[in-house]
Amino acid sequence: MEVLAQGTGEFKPPDPEGHRAYIQQHKSRALVSKVMTEQEAIGRFVSDGDYLSYDCNMLLRGPASLVRELIRQRKKDLWVGGKFTYVIVSLLAAAGCVSRVDVGFIGLGQALSRALDEGRIKMTEWSNTSITMRHLAGAMGIPFIPARFLGGADTFHYSGAKTVTDPFTGKPVTLLPAINPDVSLIHVHQCDVYGNARIFGTSVAPVETALSAKKLIISTEEIIDTEEIRRNPGRTTIPYYAVDAVVEAPFGAYPGNVPGLYRNDPDHVTEVMGAVRSSDPERLEEYMDKYIYSVSSHQEFLEKRVGLERLLWLKREEKIKEGYYI
Amino acid sequence: MTEAYLFTETEAVICHGAKMVEEDRSYWVVGGGPPRLTMHLAQRLYFPNVTIFTEDGCIAPRPILPPDPLGNFVNSKAGYRAVAWTNMNTVCCHASLGYVDYGFLSTLQVDPYGNINSSLLGGDYHHPGRRFGGAGGANEIASLCWRTILMTTLEKRKFVKKLDFITSPGFLDGSPEAREGAGLPQGTGPWRVITSEAVFGYDGKTHYMKLLAIAPWVTVEDVLAKMEFEPLIADVVETLPFPTEEELALLRVTIDPRGQVIGEGNWIQV
Repeated sequence: MEVLAQGTGEFKPPDPEGHRAYIQQHKSRALVSKVMTEQEAIGRFVSDGDYLSYDCNMLLRGPASLVRELIRQRKKDLWVGGKFTYVIVSLLAAAGCVSRVDVGFIGLGQALSRALDEGRIKMTEWSNTSITMRHLAGAMGIPFIPARFLGGADTFHYSGAKTVTDPFTGKPVTLLPAINPDVSLIHVHQCDVYGNARIFGTSVAPVETALSAKKLIISTEEIIDTEEIRRNPGRTTIPYYAVDAVVEAPFGAYPGNVPGLYRNDPDHVTEVMGAVRSSDPERLEEYMDKYIYSVSSHQEFLEKRVGLERLLWLKREEKIKEGYYI
Repeated sequence: MTEAYLFTETEAVICHGAKMVEEDRSYWVVGGGPPRLTMHLAQRLYFPNVTIFTEDGCIAPRPILPPDPLGNFVNSKAGYRAVAWTNMNTVCCHASLGYVDYGFLSTLQVDPYGNINSSLLGGDYHHPGRRFGGAGGANEIASLCWRTILMTTLEKRKFVKKLDFITSPGFLDGSPEAREGAGLPQGTGPWRVITSEAVFGYDGKTHYMKLLAIAPWVTVEDVLAKMEFEPLIADVVETLPFPTEEELALLRVTIDPRGQVIGEGNWIQV
Protein backbone atom coordinates (compact mmCIF):
# COMPACT_ATOMS: atom_id res chain seq x y z
CA MET A 1 0.00 0.00 0.00
CA GLU A 2 1.34 3.40 -0.94
CA VAL A 3 1.53 5.73 2.05
CA LEU A 4 0.19 9.11 0.95
CA ALA A 5 0.61 10.94 4.24
CA GLN A 6 1.51 10.09 7.80
CA GLY A 7 1.32 11.70 11.17
CA THR A 8 4.35 12.47 13.29
CA GLY A 9 2.79 11.60 16.64
CA GLU A 10 4.23 8.86 18.82
CA PHE A 11 2.11 5.79 19.40
CA LYS A 12 2.50 2.35 20.88
CA PRO A 13 3.25 0.04 17.94
CA PRO A 14 0.49 -2.54 17.42
CA ASP A 15 1.49 -6.09 18.32
CA PRO A 16 -1.40 -8.54 17.74
CA GLU A 17 0.85 -11.62 18.06
CA GLY A 18 2.35 -10.38 21.30
CA HIS A 19 -1.13 -9.72 22.58
CA ARG A 20 -2.35 -13.22 21.68
CA ALA A 21 0.66 -14.71 23.42
CA TYR A 22 -0.13 -12.65 26.51
CA ILE A 23 -3.77 -13.82 26.45
CA GLN A 24 -2.66 -17.44 26.10
CA GLN A 25 -0.27 -17.22 29.01
CA HIS A 26 -1.97 -14.87 31.43
CA LYS A 27 -5.73 -14.87 30.98
CA SER A 28 -7.45 -17.73 32.73
CA ARG A 29 -10.60 -19.19 31.24
CA ALA A 30 -11.43 -20.77 34.57
CA LEU A 31 -14.58 -19.75 36.42
CA VAL A 32 -12.90 -18.48 39.56
CA SER A 33 -13.86 -15.60 41.76
CA LYS A 34 -11.93 -12.42 41.01
CA VAL A 35 -13.44 -10.35 43.77
CA MET A 36 -10.87 -8.23 45.57
CA THR A 37 -10.45 -4.83 47.16
CA GLU A 38 -9.66 -1.74 45.10
CA GLN A 39 -6.26 -1.57 46.81
CA GLU A 40 -5.39 -5.09 45.72
CA ALA A 41 -6.77 -4.66 42.18
CA ILE A 42 -4.89 -1.43 41.46
CA GLY A 43 -1.79 -2.69 43.28
CA ARG A 44 -1.64 -5.95 41.37
CA PHE A 45 -2.80 -4.93 37.92
CA VAL A 46 -1.64 -1.36 37.34
CA SER A 47 2.12 -1.07 36.85
CA ASP A 48 4.20 2.05 36.39
CA GLY A 49 4.67 2.69 32.68
CA ASP A 50 1.42 0.99 31.66
CA TYR A 51 -0.85 2.20 28.86
CA LEU A 52 -4.10 2.97 30.73
CA SER A 53 -7.58 3.13 29.25
CA TYR A 54 -10.91 3.61 30.93
CA ASP A 55 -14.47 4.02 29.75
CA CYS A 56 -16.53 7.17 30.18
CA ASN A 57 -15.74 10.07 32.45
CA MET A 58 -16.56 11.90 35.66
CA LEU A 59 -19.99 12.83 34.30
CA LEU A 60 -21.23 9.41 33.25
CA ARG A 61 -20.35 5.97 34.67
CA GLY A 62 -16.59 6.51 34.75
CA PRO A 63 -14.37 4.40 37.05
CA ALA A 64 -13.88 7.31 39.44
CA SER A 65 -13.21 5.26 42.59
CA LEU A 66 -10.53 3.20 40.79
CA VAL A 67 -8.91 6.37 39.45
CA ARG A 68 -8.80 7.85 42.95
CA GLU A 69 -7.17 4.65 44.25
CA LEU A 70 -4.65 4.71 41.40
CA ILE A 71 -3.74 8.28 42.37
CA ARG A 72 -3.50 7.26 46.05
CA GLN A 73 -1.06 4.51 45.10
CA ARG A 74 0.97 7.11 43.18
CA LYS A 75 1.37 5.12 40.01
CA LYS A 76 3.90 6.67 37.63
CA ASP A 77 4.64 7.17 33.96
CA LEU A 78 1.27 6.01 32.62
CA TRP A 79 0.28 6.59 29.01
CA VAL A 80 -3.42 7.46 29.00
CA GLY A 81 -5.94 6.94 26.23
CA GLY A 82 -7.92 10.15 26.71
CA LYS A 83 -11.06 9.45 24.77
CA PHE A 84 -14.02 11.60 25.72
CA THR A 85 -12.88 12.31 29.24
CA TYR A 86 -13.18 15.45 31.29
CA VAL A 87 -11.19 15.98 34.43
CA ILE A 88 -9.63 12.57 34.96
CA VAL A 89 -6.58 13.29 32.78
CA SER A 90 -6.03 16.56 34.64
CA LEU A 91 -6.17 14.81 37.99
CA LEU A 92 -3.77 12.10 36.85
CA ALA A 93 -1.40 14.70 35.42
CA ALA A 94 -1.49 16.86 38.54
CA ALA A 95 -0.82 13.78 40.68
CA GLY A 96 2.24 12.93 38.60
CA CYS A 97 0.80 9.60 37.41
CA VAL A 98 0.95 10.34 33.69
CA SER A 99 3.71 11.08 31.22
CA ARG A 100 1.87 10.64 27.90
CA VAL A 101 -1.67 11.34 26.77
CA ASP A 102 -3.48 10.32 23.60
CA VAL A 103 -5.86 13.21 23.12
CA GLY A 104 -9.45 12.72 22.19
CA PHE A 105 -11.22 15.12 24.46
CA ILE A 106 -9.36 15.67 27.69
CA GLY A 107 -11.10 18.63 29.25
CA LEU A 108 -9.70 22.07 29.64
CA GLY A 109 -7.71 23.57 32.36
CA GLN A 110 -4.65 25.09 33.84
CA ALA A 111 -3.63 21.85 35.53
CA LEU A 112 -2.92 20.29 32.14
CA SER A 113 -1.38 23.46 30.75
CA ARG A 114 1.06 23.53 33.66
CA ALA A 115 1.96 19.88 33.13
CA LEU A 116 2.56 20.57 29.43
CA ASP A 117 4.56 23.75 30.04
CA GLU A 118 6.76 22.03 32.58
CA GLY A 119 7.35 19.14 30.17
CA ARG A 120 5.82 16.63 32.57
CA ILE A 121 3.48 15.24 29.91
CA LYS A 122 3.56 14.77 26.16
CA MET A 123 0.55 14.47 23.93
CA THR A 124 -0.34 12.71 20.71
CA GLU A 125 -3.37 14.12 18.89
CA TRP A 126 -6.27 11.89 17.98
CA SER A 127 -10.00 12.38 18.25
CA ASN A 128 -12.58 10.62 20.38
CA THR A 129 -13.65 8.08 17.80
CA SER A 130 -10.18 7.54 16.37
CA ILE A 131 -9.21 6.38 19.87
CA THR A 132 -12.33 4.20 20.27
CA MET A 133 -11.70 2.74 16.79
CA ARG A 134 -8.11 2.01 17.78
CA HIS A 135 -9.48 0.08 20.76
CA LEU A 136 -11.91 -1.71 18.44
CA ALA A 137 -8.98 -2.85 16.29
CA GLY A 138 -7.21 -3.93 19.48
CA ALA A 139 -10.34 -5.82 20.53
CA MET A 140 -10.50 -7.54 17.12
CA GLY A 141 -6.93 -8.77 17.27
CA ILE A 142 -5.97 -6.86 14.12
CA PRO A 143 -3.08 -4.41 13.67
CA PHE A 144 -5.00 -1.41 12.31
CA ILE A 145 -8.42 -0.28 11.22
CA PRO A 146 -9.34 1.89 8.23
CA ALA A 147 -11.42 4.99 8.91
CA ARG A 148 -12.86 7.67 6.68
CA PHE A 149 -12.05 10.56 9.01
CA LEU A 150 -9.03 12.26 10.64
CA GLY A 151 -7.21 12.71 7.29
CA GLY A 152 -6.35 16.22 6.08
CA ALA A 153 -6.43 18.04 9.43
CA ASP A 154 -3.50 19.09 11.62
CA THR A 155 -4.92 16.62 14.12
CA PHE A 156 -3.88 13.91 11.66
CA HIS A 157 -0.44 15.47 11.26
CA TYR A 158 0.24 15.19 15.00
CA SER A 159 -1.35 11.73 15.30
CA GLY A 160 0.14 8.34 14.52
CA ALA A 161 -2.28 7.64 11.65
CA LYS A 162 -1.37 7.08 8.00
CA THR A 163 -3.34 7.80 4.85
CA VAL A 164 -2.71 5.14 2.21
CA THR A 165 -4.04 4.07 -1.16
CA ASP A 166 -6.61 1.39 -0.40
CA PRO A 167 -5.58 -1.73 -2.36
CA PHE A 168 -9.24 -2.63 -2.99
CA THR A 169 -10.81 0.64 -4.16
CA GLY A 170 -7.66 2.47 -5.20
CA LYS A 171 -8.80 5.49 -3.17
CA PRO A 172 -7.19 7.20 -0.19
CA VAL A 173 -8.16 5.86 3.21
CA THR A 174 -6.82 6.56 6.70
CA LEU A 175 -5.42 3.74 8.84
CA LEU A 176 -5.49 3.90 12.62
CA PRO A 177 -3.05 1.69 14.55
CA ALA A 178 -4.65 -0.76 17.00
CA ILE A 179 -4.22 -0.12 20.68
CA ASN A 180 -4.05 -2.88 23.28
CA PRO A 181 -3.96 -1.13 26.65
CA ASP A 182 -1.86 -2.74 29.35
CA VAL A 183 -4.72 -2.11 31.71
CA SER A 184 -8.32 -0.93 31.38
CA LEU A 185 -10.72 0.26 34.09
CA ILE A 186 -14.47 -0.07 33.56
CA HIS A 187 -17.29 0.75 35.97
CA VAL A 188 -20.46 -1.30 35.48
CA HIS A 189 -23.95 -1.57 36.89
CA GLN A 190 -23.79 -5.28 37.74
CA CYS A 191 -21.21 -8.04 37.66
CA ASP A 192 -20.87 -11.57 39.04
CA VAL A 193 -17.84 -12.81 40.97
CA TYR A 194 -16.23 -14.14 37.79
CA GLY A 195 -16.49 -10.84 35.91
CA ASN A 196 -19.55 -11.30 33.72
CA ALA A 197 -20.59 -7.68 33.59
CA ARG A 198 -23.65 -5.67 32.63
CA ILE A 199 -23.77 -2.03 31.55
CA PHE A 200 -27.11 -0.36 30.95
CA GLY A 201 -27.61 2.73 28.81
CA THR A 202 -25.33 4.73 26.56
CA SER A 203 -21.58 4.41 26.68
CA VAL A 204 -18.35 5.38 25.01
CA ALA A 205 -16.58 2.11 24.20
CA PRO A 206 -16.79 -0.30 27.14
CA VAL A 207 -16.59 -3.52 25.14
CA GLU A 208 -13.71 -2.28 22.99
CA THR A 209 -11.87 -0.87 26.02
CA ALA A 210 -12.38 -4.12 27.95
CA LEU A 211 -11.57 -6.66 25.25
CA SER A 212 -8.53 -4.85 23.86
CA ALA A 213 -6.86 -4.78 27.26
CA LYS A 214 -4.22 -7.07 28.66
CA LYS A 215 -5.40 -6.53 32.24
CA LEU A 216 -8.95 -5.53 33.06
CA ILE A 217 -10.30 -4.22 36.34
CA ILE A 218 -14.07 -3.99 36.71
CA SER A 219 -15.66 -1.97 39.47
CA THR A 220 -19.33 -2.67 39.96
CA GLU A 221 -22.26 -1.07 41.74
CA GLU A 222 -23.30 -4.53 42.93
CA ILE A 223 -22.21 -8.14 42.65
CA ILE A 224 -25.04 -10.33 41.38
CA ASP A 225 -25.48 -14.07 41.24
CA THR A 226 -24.20 -15.90 38.17
CA GLU A 227 -27.60 -17.57 37.81
CA GLU A 228 -29.07 -14.12 37.28
CA ILE A 229 -26.54 -13.55 34.48
CA ARG A 230 -27.49 -16.92 32.95
CA ARG A 231 -31.20 -16.16 33.15
CA ASN A 232 -30.75 -13.11 30.90
CA PRO A 233 -27.56 -13.63 28.89
CA GLY A 234 -28.52 -11.01 26.31
CA ARG A 235 -27.76 -8.34 28.90
CA THR A 236 -24.11 -9.37 29.40
CA THR A 237 -21.77 -6.64 28.16
CA ILE A 238 -18.38 -8.15 29.04
CA PRO A 239 -17.65 -11.89 29.47
CA TYR A 240 -15.76 -13.18 32.50
CA TYR A 241 -12.57 -14.40 30.79
CA ALA A 242 -11.56 -10.85 29.86
CA VAL A 243 -11.69 -9.78 33.51
CA ASP A 244 -8.83 -9.91 36.04
CA ALA A 245 -10.40 -8.17 39.02
CA VAL A 246 -13.91 -7.47 40.27
CA VAL A 247 -14.17 -4.64 42.79
CA GLU A 248 -17.46 -4.01 44.53
CA ALA A 249 -17.82 -0.23 44.51
CA PRO A 250 -21.26 1.23 45.20
CA PHE A 251 -21.27 4.85 44.01
CA GLY A 252 -18.03 4.01 42.23
CA ALA A 253 -18.73 6.54 39.49
CA TYR A 254 -19.31 9.38 41.96
CA PRO A 255 -19.49 12.32 41.14
CA GLY A 256 -20.86 11.01 37.83
CA ASN A 257 -24.26 9.64 36.93
CA VAL A 258 -24.92 5.92 36.83
CA PRO A 259 -28.12 5.89 34.79
CA GLY A 260 -31.06 4.32 36.57
CA LEU A 261 -29.25 4.26 39.92
CA TYR A 262 -28.02 7.67 41.06
CA ARG A 263 -27.67 11.09 39.54
CA ASN A 264 -24.47 13.10 39.16
CA ASP A 265 -23.44 15.43 41.96
CA PRO A 266 -23.35 18.84 40.30
CA ASP A 267 -21.69 20.50 43.31
CA HIS A 268 -18.79 18.07 43.34
CA VAL A 269 -18.36 18.19 39.56
CA THR A 270 -18.31 21.98 39.75
CA GLU A 271 -15.74 21.81 42.56
CA VAL A 272 -13.38 19.46 40.72
CA MET A 273 -13.75 21.32 37.42
CA GLY A 274 -13.04 24.59 39.20
CA ALA A 275 -9.93 23.06 40.76
CA VAL A 276 -8.48 21.73 37.48
CA ARG A 277 -9.27 24.94 35.64
CA SER A 278 -7.85 27.23 38.30
CA SER A 279 -4.59 29.05 37.68
CA ASP A 280 -3.83 28.52 41.36
CA PRO A 281 -2.24 25.05 41.69
CA GLU A 282 -3.02 25.02 45.40
CA ARG A 283 -6.73 24.68 44.72
CA LEU A 284 -6.17 21.38 42.98
CA GLU A 285 -3.74 20.23 45.66
CA GLU A 286 -6.36 21.02 48.29
CA TYR A 287 -8.99 19.15 46.30
CA MET A 288 -6.80 16.07 45.92
CA ASP A 289 -5.75 16.13 49.52
CA LYS A 290 -9.32 16.41 50.74
CA TYR A 291 -10.91 13.82 48.46
CA ILE A 292 -8.11 11.41 47.59
CA TYR A 293 -4.98 11.43 49.74
CA SER A 294 -6.59 12.01 53.13
CA VAL A 295 -8.87 8.96 52.86
CA SER A 296 -7.71 5.38 52.70
CA SER A 297 -10.48 3.86 50.59
CA HIS A 298 -13.56 4.49 48.50
CA GLN A 299 -15.70 3.52 51.47
CA GLU A 300 -14.01 6.08 53.70
CA PHE A 301 -14.39 8.65 50.91
CA LEU A 302 -18.13 7.99 50.75
CA GLU A 303 -18.57 8.02 54.53
CA LYS A 304 -16.41 10.98 55.41
CA ARG A 305 -16.33 13.18 52.32
CA VAL A 306 -19.74 12.65 50.71
CA GLY A 307 -21.98 11.41 53.49
CA LEU A 308 -25.10 9.33 53.72
CA GLU A 309 -27.50 12.22 53.31
CA ARG A 310 -25.95 13.24 50.01
CA LEU A 311 -25.79 9.67 48.72
CA LEU A 312 -29.47 9.11 49.49
CA TRP A 313 -30.30 12.35 47.71
CA LEU A 314 -28.35 11.24 44.64
CA LYS A 315 -30.35 8.00 44.57
CA ARG A 316 -33.66 9.71 45.18
CA GLU A 317 -33.04 12.25 42.42
CA GLU A 318 -32.34 9.65 39.76
CA LYS A 319 -35.93 9.31 38.72
CA ILE A 320 -35.53 7.56 35.39
CA LYS A 321 -35.51 3.78 35.72
CA GLU A 322 -37.05 2.61 32.47
CA GLY A 323 -34.61 0.99 30.12
CA TYR A 324 -32.03 0.40 32.85
CA TYR A 325 -33.26 -1.99 35.53
CA ILE A 326 -36.85 -2.29 34.25
CA MET B 1 -45.53 34.46 16.51
CA THR B 2 -44.52 37.68 18.19
CA GLU B 3 -41.21 39.26 17.35
CA ALA B 4 -38.99 39.85 20.35
CA TYR B 5 -36.86 42.93 20.86
CA LEU B 6 -34.69 42.10 23.84
CA PHE B 7 -32.54 38.96 23.93
CA THR B 8 -28.96 37.80 24.38
CA GLU B 9 -26.59 37.06 21.51
CA THR B 10 -26.73 33.37 22.38
CA GLU B 11 -30.52 33.37 22.36
CA ALA B 12 -30.41 35.02 18.94
CA VAL B 13 -28.03 32.49 17.42
CA ILE B 14 -30.03 29.58 18.81
CA CYS B 15 -33.28 31.02 17.43
CA HIS B 16 -31.68 31.53 13.99
CA GLY B 17 -30.39 27.97 14.04
CA ALA B 18 -33.66 26.41 15.18
CA LYS B 19 -35.54 27.81 12.22
CA MET B 20 -32.94 26.39 9.83
CA VAL B 21 -33.28 22.81 11.03
CA GLU B 22 -34.80 20.39 8.51
CA GLU B 23 -37.60 18.03 9.43
CA ASP B 24 -37.01 14.28 8.92
CA ARG B 25 -33.23 14.72 8.84
CA SER B 26 -30.55 13.41 11.18
CA TYR B 27 -28.06 15.51 13.16
CA TRP B 28 -24.92 14.49 15.03
CA VAL B 29 -24.67 17.22 17.65
CA VAL B 30 -21.56 17.99 19.64
CA GLY B 31 -21.46 18.69 23.37
CA GLY B 32 -24.04 20.43 25.52
CA GLY B 33 -23.79 24.03 24.33
CA PRO B 34 -25.72 26.18 21.83
CA PRO B 35 -25.96 23.50 19.08
CA ARG B 36 -27.73 21.09 21.46
CA LEU B 37 -30.09 23.81 22.73
CA THR B 38 -30.84 24.72 19.12
CA MET B 39 -31.93 21.17 18.42
CA HIS B 40 -34.12 21.07 21.55
CA LEU B 41 -35.82 24.31 20.53
CA ALA B 42 -36.31 23.11 16.98
CA GLN B 43 -37.64 19.75 18.13
CA ARG B 44 -40.10 21.24 20.63
CA LEU B 45 -41.36 24.10 18.47
CA TYR B 46 -40.98 23.34 14.79
CA PHE B 47 -39.56 19.96 13.80
CA PRO B 48 -40.64 17.10 16.07
CA ASN B 49 -39.24 14.47 13.75
CA VAL B 50 -35.56 15.38 13.67
CA THR B 51 -33.18 12.64 14.74
CA ILE B 52 -30.38 13.62 17.10
CA PHE B 53 -27.24 11.54 17.60
CA THR B 54 -24.84 12.10 20.49
CA GLU B 55 -21.29 10.91 20.93
CA ASP B 56 -22.17 8.55 23.75
CA GLY B 57 -24.24 6.51 21.32
CA CYS B 58 -27.66 7.92 22.08
CA ILE B 59 -29.93 7.87 19.02
CA ALA B 60 -33.04 10.05 18.70
CA PRO B 61 -33.71 10.84 22.38
CA ARG B 62 -36.64 12.85 23.66
CA PRO B 63 -34.71 14.45 26.50
CA ILE B 64 -36.38 15.48 29.72
CA LEU B 65 -36.44 19.24 30.13
CA PRO B 66 -35.34 21.26 32.00
CA PRO B 67 -32.01 19.52 31.56
CA ASP B 68 -29.53 18.41 34.17
CA PRO B 69 -27.55 21.37 35.57
CA LEU B 70 -24.41 19.81 34.07
CA GLY B 71 -25.98 19.91 30.61
CA ASN B 72 -28.31 17.87 28.46
CA PHE B 73 -25.64 15.41 27.48
CA VAL B 74 -24.23 12.14 28.87
CA ASN B 75 -26.82 11.63 31.58
CA SER B 76 -30.07 9.73 31.92
CA LYS B 77 -32.29 12.79 31.38
CA ALA B 78 -30.50 13.48 28.09
CA GLY B 79 -30.98 9.92 26.89
CA TYR B 80 -34.66 9.59 27.81
CA ARG B 81 -36.96 7.79 25.34
CA ALA B 82 -34.27 7.36 22.71
CA VAL B 83 -34.81 4.79 19.96
CA ALA B 84 -31.43 3.19 20.75
CA TRP B 85 -28.65 3.37 23.30
CA THR B 86 -25.45 2.39 21.56
CA ASN B 87 -21.88 3.65 21.85
CA MET B 88 -19.43 5.97 20.19
CA ASN B 89 -18.17 3.61 17.49
CA THR B 90 -21.73 2.71 16.46
CA VAL B 91 -22.76 6.32 15.94
CA CYS B 92 -19.53 6.95 14.03
CA CYS B 93 -20.24 3.94 11.80
CA HIS B 94 -23.75 5.23 11.09
CA ALA B 95 -22.25 8.53 10.00
CA SER B 96 -19.58 6.73 7.96
CA LEU B 97 -22.38 4.82 6.21
CA GLY B 98 -24.09 8.09 5.25
CA TYR B 99 -27.05 8.01 7.64
CA VAL B 100 -26.21 11.35 9.22
CA ASP B 101 -27.27 14.39 7.22
CA TYR B 102 -25.86 17.14 9.40
CA GLY B 103 -22.98 17.53 11.79
CA PHE B 104 -23.53 20.38 14.21
CA LEU B 105 -20.46 21.88 15.91
CA SER B 106 -19.12 24.79 17.90
CA THR B 107 -15.62 26.11 17.35
CA LEU B 108 -12.93 28.48 18.59
CA GLN B 109 -11.87 29.60 15.10
CA VAL B 110 -13.03 29.11 11.52
CA ASP B 111 -11.19 29.97 8.29
CA PRO B 112 -12.60 30.93 4.85
CA TYR B 113 -12.78 27.25 3.82
CA GLY B 114 -14.68 26.15 6.89
CA ASN B 115 -11.75 24.43 8.59
CA ILE B 116 -12.11 24.65 12.34
CA ASN B 117 -9.87 24.88 15.36
CA SER B 118 -10.77 23.64 18.83
CA SER B 119 -7.26 22.61 19.94
CA LEU B 120 -5.11 25.60 20.75
CA LEU B 121 -4.75 29.37 20.38
CA GLY B 122 -1.51 31.27 19.89
CA GLY B 123 2.07 30.05 19.75
CA ASP B 124 2.75 26.83 17.88
CA TYR B 125 1.76 23.24 18.44
CA HIS B 126 4.63 22.45 20.76
CA HIS B 127 4.39 25.74 22.66
CA PRO B 128 0.75 26.78 22.50
CA GLY B 129 -0.43 30.05 23.99
CA ARG B 130 -3.54 28.31 25.28
CA ARG B 131 -4.37 24.67 24.94
CA PHE B 132 -7.99 23.51 24.72
CA GLY B 133 -9.70 20.15 24.99
CA GLY B 134 -8.72 18.67 21.64
CA ALA B 135 -10.63 17.36 18.67
CA GLY B 136 -13.16 15.45 20.73
CA GLY B 137 -15.80 14.18 18.36
CA ALA B 138 -15.61 17.21 16.08
CA ASN B 139 -13.14 15.67 13.63
CA GLU B 140 -15.29 12.66 12.81
CA ILE B 141 -18.44 14.78 12.74
CA ALA B 142 -16.90 17.27 10.30
CA SER B 143 -15.46 14.41 8.22
CA LEU B 144 -18.38 12.00 7.94
CA CYS B 145 -21.71 13.86 8.06
CA TRP B 146 -23.01 15.06 4.70
CA ARG B 147 -23.11 18.71 5.75
CA THR B 148 -21.36 20.48 8.61
CA ILE B 149 -23.04 23.35 10.44
CA LEU B 150 -20.97 25.57 12.73
CA MET B 151 -22.36 27.76 15.46
CA THR B 152 -20.10 30.45 16.86
CA THR B 153 -19.84 34.15 17.66
CA LEU B 154 -18.95 36.75 15.05
CA GLU B 155 -15.58 38.10 16.12
CA LYS B 156 -12.36 39.02 14.34
CA ARG B 157 -10.36 36.58 16.44
CA LYS B 158 -12.71 33.77 15.42
CA PHE B 159 -13.21 34.36 11.68
CA VAL B 160 -9.52 34.26 10.77
CA LYS B 161 -7.53 33.97 7.52
CA LYS B 162 -5.42 31.17 8.88
CA LEU B 163 -6.15 28.88 11.79
CA ASP B 164 -3.67 28.34 14.60
CA PHE B 165 -4.42 24.61 14.18
CA ILE B 166 -6.78 22.67 11.88
CA THR B 167 -8.54 20.40 14.35
CA SER B 168 -11.33 19.28 12.05
CA PRO B 169 -11.55 19.49 8.28
CA GLY B 170 -13.59 21.92 6.28
CA PHE B 171 -12.76 22.17 2.60
CA LEU B 172 -9.05 22.09 3.63
CA ASP B 173 -7.23 24.21 0.98
CA GLY B 174 -10.50 24.64 -0.95
CA SER B 175 -9.36 22.66 -3.99
CA PRO B 176 -12.06 20.38 -5.48
CA GLU B 177 -10.47 17.07 -4.51
CA ALA B 178 -8.92 18.10 -1.21
CA ARG B 179 -11.26 16.18 1.08
CA GLU B 180 -11.36 13.01 -0.99
CA GLY B 181 -7.60 13.16 -1.35
CA ALA B 182 -7.34 13.08 2.43
CA GLY B 183 -9.51 9.96 2.60
CA LEU B 184 -12.78 11.68 3.55
CA PRO B 185 -16.10 10.62 1.97
CA GLN B 186 -17.25 12.21 -1.28
CA GLY B 187 -19.87 14.92 -1.24
CA THR B 188 -19.34 15.96 2.37
CA GLY B 189 -18.20 19.27 3.81
CA PRO B 190 -19.03 22.59 5.43
CA TRP B 191 -22.55 23.92 4.87
CA ARG B 192 -23.42 26.85 7.14
CA VAL B 193 -21.86 29.03 9.80
CA ILE B 194 -24.49 30.50 12.09
CA THR B 195 -23.83 33.52 14.33
CA SER B 196 -26.20 35.90 16.07
CA GLU B 197 -25.54 38.56 13.43
CA ALA B 198 -25.02 36.67 10.19
CA VAL B 199 -25.32 33.33 8.44
CA PHE B 200 -22.71 32.14 5.97
CA GLY B 201 -22.56 29.41 3.35
CA TYR B 202 -19.82 28.47 0.88
CA ASP B 203 -19.37 29.09 -2.84
CA GLY B 204 -20.08 25.89 -4.76
CA LYS B 205 -16.93 26.16 -6.91
CA THR B 206 -14.27 27.89 -4.85
CA HIS B 207 -15.51 26.58 -1.47
CA TYR B 208 -14.88 30.09 -0.08
CA MET B 209 -17.15 31.37 2.67
CA LYS B 210 -20.08 33.47 1.48
CA LEU B 211 -22.32 35.83 3.44
CA LEU B 212 -25.92 34.71 2.91
CA ALA B 213 -28.01 36.52 5.50
CA ILE B 214 -27.76 39.14 8.24
CA ALA B 215 -29.79 39.92 11.34
CA PRO B 216 -32.22 42.82 11.01
CA TRP B 217 -30.27 44.80 13.60
CA VAL B 218 -26.94 44.90 11.69
CA THR B 219 -25.63 45.96 8.26
CA VAL B 220 -23.31 44.04 5.95
CA GLU B 221 -20.57 46.51 6.90
CA ASP B 222 -21.09 45.72 10.59
CA VAL B 223 -20.61 42.04 9.80
CA LEU B 224 -17.48 42.50 7.68
CA ALA B 225 -15.92 44.67 10.38
CA LYS B 226 -16.03 41.66 12.70
CA MET B 227 -14.11 39.32 10.40
CA GLU B 228 -10.39 39.09 9.69
CA PHE B 229 -11.07 38.00 6.09
CA GLU B 230 -13.65 39.28 3.65
CA PRO B 231 -16.14 36.61 2.62
CA LEU B 232 -17.90 36.47 -0.73
CA ILE B 233 -21.26 38.19 -0.53
CA ALA B 234 -24.45 36.71 -1.98
CA ASP B 235 -26.15 38.71 -4.75
CA VAL B 236 -29.11 39.09 -2.45
CA VAL B 237 -28.26 39.09 1.25
CA GLU B 238 -31.34 37.83 3.07
CA THR B 239 -32.57 39.29 6.34
CA LEU B 240 -32.94 36.83 9.19
CA PRO B 241 -36.15 36.87 11.21
CA PHE B 242 -36.21 38.21 14.76
CA PRO B 243 -36.29 35.70 17.59
CA THR B 244 -39.90 35.23 18.66
CA GLU B 245 -41.38 35.52 22.13
CA GLU B 246 -42.46 31.88 21.86
CA GLU B 247 -38.89 30.77 21.19
CA LEU B 248 -37.49 32.84 24.03
CA ALA B 249 -40.14 31.64 26.47
CA LEU B 250 -39.33 28.02 25.68
CA LEU B 251 -35.59 28.66 25.96
CA ARG B 252 -35.82 30.59 29.23
CA VAL B 253 -38.42 28.51 31.03
CA THR B 254 -37.92 24.99 29.77
CA ILE B 255 -34.68 24.45 27.86
CA ASP B 256 -32.22 26.52 29.90
CA PRO B 257 -34.04 27.88 32.96
CA ARG B 258 -30.74 28.49 34.79
CA GLY B 259 -29.45 30.61 31.90
CA GLN B 260 -26.24 28.59 31.82
CA VAL B 261 -25.93 28.75 28.02
CA ILE B 262 -28.38 31.43 26.87
CA GLY B 263 -27.05 33.92 29.38
CA GLU B 264 -23.76 34.16 27.45
CA GLY B 265 -23.01 37.21 25.31
CA ASN B 266 -24.27 40.77 25.25
CA TRP B 267 -27.91 41.74 25.37
CA ILE B 268 -29.35 42.98 22.11
CA GLN B 269 -32.10 45.55 22.25
CA VAL B 270 -33.80 46.63 19.04
